[in-house]
Amino acid sequence: MKDIVRQKIGINVDIMDMLNEQISKEAHSSSAYLAMASWCDHNGLTGSAEFLYKQSLEERDHMMKIFRFINENGGTAYSPEVSNILHDFNSLQEIFETALDQEIAITKSINNIVAKCRKVQDFASENFLQWFVHEQMEEENQFRRILEMFDLMGTDGIALKLIDERIKHGE
Amino acid sequence: MNLLFKSYNFASYQCDRSRCFYIDFGHKTVKLSFCQLLSLRQKVQKIDLDSHFDKDLNYSGIEILTLCNREHLFILDTMQVIEMKELIKATFGMLELNSLVTHS
Ligand SMILES: [Fe+2]
Ligand SMILES: [Fe+2]
Repeated sequence: MKDIVRQKIGINVDIMDMLNEQISKEAHSSSAYLAMASWCDHNGLTGSAEFLYKQSLEERDHMMKIFRFINENGGTAYSPEVSNILHDFNSLQEIFETALDQEIAITKSINNIVAKCRKVQDFASENFLQWFVHEQMEEENQFRRILEMFDLMGTDGIALKLIDERIKHGE
Repeated sequence: MNLLFKSYNFASYQCDRSRCFYIDFGHKTVKLSFCQLLSLRQKVQKIDLDSHFDKDLNYSGIEILTLCNREHLFILDTMQVIEMKELIKATFGMLELNSLVTHS
């Protein structure tokens, strides 16, 4: 019997499923950052809003990267539905804590797929995902640095304005 | 044609000559490209069986399955959904096994 599946698709089918789930997660991240940006805009924190709009775009880029990878390799990528987006926050600090938690969850999810790639010896997908492993490390650190600013400078009036300025300039 | 899996009502085949797959639904056999088979797999996997046991979520206990860009339409009851899920799982299991044998 011919191996038609392998002739048609270059990646493992179960990995394809996991990558499709990852597409959903990246789309969710993108929308979550958009909601956070909106909150910041409404609360006079324009620097943070700008930063979060940029984050939202980056998450969409991540989504597209995976989307194209699946289709280019003979799989089928599914356009994600997004729900459960949180719009209510108590403070800017809470926003960045939520953001860091979200990134950590994404890192775990990526690691989980990499582990599965090794198990089924899908080295093409593993290699593709290495970029994401590195990207997640950078994103986590970026939010950690922002949260450190709150630890150092506090969260009241002037400090908040200063932090917002710094976030805008990608400190 | 190579039989991949046969359940009580359904069966799946691979045809080497046409490089296609066939699903026998009992009363009708449908020819699927690999891409269409993947799409069937996605649709069947996405069916939430739990909702079949909740009157508020799925009152009628049926699922409507469209195949090949809505060229075919199937209505499955709970038992058939269970069987279809099993067929898809076993079919892809067989295909993976074949892959291992072919390229080892
Ligand atoms: Fe991302
Ligand atoms: Fe991210």
